[in-house]
Amino acid sequence: MKNLLYKKSSGLIIISLLLLAVLISALFTYQKIKAKGIDDCLVCHEDKDLTMDKNGKKVSLFVNAAEFKKSMHGGNDCTDCHQSYNPDQIPHNPKKTNVDCRMCHDNVKSDPDNVHKNVQCNSCHSAHNVKSAKEFGKNQTETCLGCHKNKNVQIFKGSIHDNKNVKCSDCHQGGHTVKKISKNDVLGVCGKCHSKDKEAFTNSIHQVVLRQGNSKAPSCLDCHGSHQILRSKMDIESQGCLKCHLDEKMFPGEGKGSTKFISEYRVSIHATIQKDGKQAAGCTDCHGNHMIQQGDPNKPSVSRTKILETCSKCHSKEVENFKKSTHGQELLNGNEKAPSCATCHGEHNIKSVSKSDEFSKINQVDLCLKCHQEQKLPHKNYKGEDVLISNYKESYHYIALKSGKNAATCADCHGSHEMKKVDDPDAKINRYNIPKTCGQLGCHVKQLSEYTGSVHEVSLIQKHGADAPNCSTCHGNHQIAKNDDVKNRMASSKGLVQLCSDCHSSVEMVKKYNLPIGRTDSYMNSFHGLAMRGGSKVAANCESCHGYHNIRPSSDTLSSINKKNLPVTCGKCHPGANQTLFNTSIHITDSISESPLLYWISRFYILMILAVIGGMVMHNIFDLIKKVKSKNKHEENNGEDDK
Amino acid sequence: MTSKHEQKYLRMTLNERIQHFLLLSSFIILVSTGFALKYPEAVWVMWFRWIFGEYAFEIRGIVHRVAAVVMTADSIYHILYVSFTKRGRKLIVDLWFYKKDIADLTGTLKYYFGKEDSKPRYGRFSYIEKSEYWALVWGNLVMGATGVVLWFNNTFLPVISSIGMEVATAIHFYEAILASLAIVTWHFYFVIYNPDVYPINKAFITGFLTREEMEHEHPLELEEMEKPDSGSKKPDDTKEKVNTVAGTDNEISENTEKDTEIK
Repeated sequence: MKNLLYKKSSGLIIISLLLLAVLISALFTYQKIKAKGIDDCLVCHEDKDLTMDKNGKKVSLFVNAAEFKKSMHGGNDCTDCHQSYNPDQIPHNPKKTNVDCRMCHDNVKSDPDNVHKNVQCNSCHSAHNVKSAKEFGKNQTETCLGCHKNKNVQIFKGSIHDNKNVKCSDCHQGGHTVKKISKNDVLGVCGKCHSKDKEAFTNSIHQVVLRQGNSKAPSCLDCHGSHQILRSKMDIESQGCLKCHLDEKMFPGEGKGSTKFISEYRVSIHATIQKDGKQAAGCTDCHGNHMIQQGDPNKPSVSRTKILETCSKCHSKEVENFKKSTHGQELLNGNEKAPSCATCHGEHNIKSVSKSDEFSKINQVDLCLKCHQEQKLPHKNYKGEDVLISNYKESYHYIALKSGKNAATCADCHGSHEMKKVDDPDAKINRYNIPKTCGQLGCHVKQLSEYTGSVHEVSLIQKHGADAPNCSTCHGNHQIAKNDDVKNRMASSKGLVQLCSDCHSSVEMVKKYNLPIGRTDSYMNSFHGLAMRGGSKVAANCESCHGYHNIRPSSDTLSSINKKNLPVTCGKCHPGANQTLFNTSIHITDSISESPLLYWISRFYILMILAVIGGMVMHNIFDLIKKVKSKNKHEENNGEDDK
Repeated sequence: MTSKHEQKYLRMTLNERIQHFLLLSSFIILVSTGFALKYPEAVWVMWFRWIFGEYAFEIRGIVHRVAAVVMTADSIYHILYVSFTKRGRKLIVDLWFYKKDIADLTGTLKYYFGKEDSKPRYGRFSYIEKSEYWALVWGNLVMGATGVVLWFNNTFLPVISSIGMEVATAIHFYEAILASLAIVTWHFYFVIYNPDVYPINKAFITGFLTREEMEHEHPLELEEMEKPDSGSKKPDDTKEKVNTVAGTDNEISENTEKDTEIK
């Protein structure tokens, strides 16, 4: 052990002696060069034109003295770095030894992965204008781009990252361990800042496929670019989804092939209408960006459960209405047969409702009938709906549509998104709302204004009478026919009278609403009624006197049957009525109070008929009995005579 | 006796039969077309509509008015007839009510109830026929008046006011019922259902009654005819009878009756 220690210590002594020799010689040399000094060097090297040939290239030997003196190395002498340079010899460094920064900066570690491991320090830090790390960092981008002239990297300048002062080192790691970023690492790198997006993307189909080893699956950079960094709405055609999704090799087959959807999309209203210079709605607007999903039917933003939310990003009003509708309610309740936006509007091929043929009024019916017809009803409906709806095709609304006129179709009455069940107080087809619906602008405005203020309207709207007639009570709903159509109950007088009688001679209604009694009977037995029953085409029926939409009680001065207006009303048919004194009620119900004269006349006649005819009948009977008796007697007598 | 049984007695001249025919046909048409209005759902009215089709109601109205005109014209002619012909004036005299008619009525009723053995002997017209005639006159007036009001309702409406129209309508209806029932119950009984004349009293076609019918229905008239002092009324002398009974001032009937009687 002692020997060994001795050996080692003797080595140390040798090394110490050598170092001492070096130090002494160095001191000597230093003093020698120092005598020459930095200013001596600059005598020559301040000349901007000072050059030398280096491997056939002209290299500038100019040193910016001012810069150098301000630099981190400003206090140093040239020879601190340029060791072994002989100022008396030209070139100074015939051995061509490089300046070794590590002489001083021996703490700088060199990572084996560092892509810059063969790059000279001065390539980045410069030779003479060496800056502090802080100062250096400020201009890092320029420093990097100084070498990385590649266009793909150059576009970093002015990118969102550049503008927000994100540096190269933030992604590529800085200092002296610059790295290339592999596809698998991209998410991690971006996720350092974009943690939310990372989270979303981690569960997306894109990332799932990537993890499964599909190298073609996109990472952040495939959509956003590596250095340019595109954000928000990307131009789908050139940069976004279509880069991959139009590639039939990547997405083969009919079902999976996205080319079909894209070609449909390209003619859709979403693609053809421009908003801020881009498509009104691009792929990501519906499918989402980072969290694009597939597989689980409830996850994707375009799934039945989420589509309302997705569409409402732009179509909020429509979706709000839809959510309140029966369709929407069923959809939200998880009824798998309930329609979603896409059921009617389609998916990629969404067309303009106002311009497309599919949503033209005439085709809209078929769209609705697809579900609401002939036992194919996909949801619970009240019985007879199929009949009801098929009747629409016989209605004048549909006939008019077919002949090219503008007429009501499903959505006009039921609403396009806000269709609700009839018993919903907000439904457009709720009995209290029907007049408003039928009388909407562009439809039966005139009829509504006539109806408004009528006794029927007052009792329906103002008194909220559940049985008061609205438009559909008389006109029907789906099968609405023209006035002169035989299918229209009101086309014939008989049908019309029957229609009015449905309520006005219903015992229940008369009691419930205190309606005047005997209107139908008294009419039916009046000459007008008899003539109508007999088939007269001109005999007055209910509407001849009472009007139709604007029916008002006789106490109303605007009423056609107001005493003041009767001569005019009756005068329509009876020119003599103009000066007539209407001293009896028109609907005489034969009661003693209403028309005593008539009452007594009829009583008198009935009694007289009973008495006279009764007497005659009795007289006949007595006569007959007597005659039969006497005949028998006569025959008996004859018989006796014969004997 | 046999000759007497074969004897025919003039009841209605051709002129009267034509009057009767116009009356009965217009009456039937008026009744049927009138009640067709009042009871439009009756089966026979349905047939009527089925036959006449779409405009059945309008046709009904026109036919009713035509028949009404015929009946009115017939009535007016009858007024002229009873005013300006001898036989006509005799008709009114014979149809007029006398005290005997009341006695006849009570007598008949007594006979029916077995209080008397024989029926009162009726003259040319029994109280039954007389009341039928005057009921017809009354009915014609009432129906004609109310009918005109209803026909020209636009003219009468301002005159008689709406209650007037209602009254006219009611009277026209009840009177129609009364008239129809009266015809059906009494007139039809005595000329159709009556066992003595069943199946029908042919006088309204032939104009004559048989002696048996005369004995049953108009014994007093027969007696008067056969009274020697009335001379010309001898039944055997048909020509004479025709001349006196039918009246010479009606040539058409005279000639026809001559023809028929000779048989």
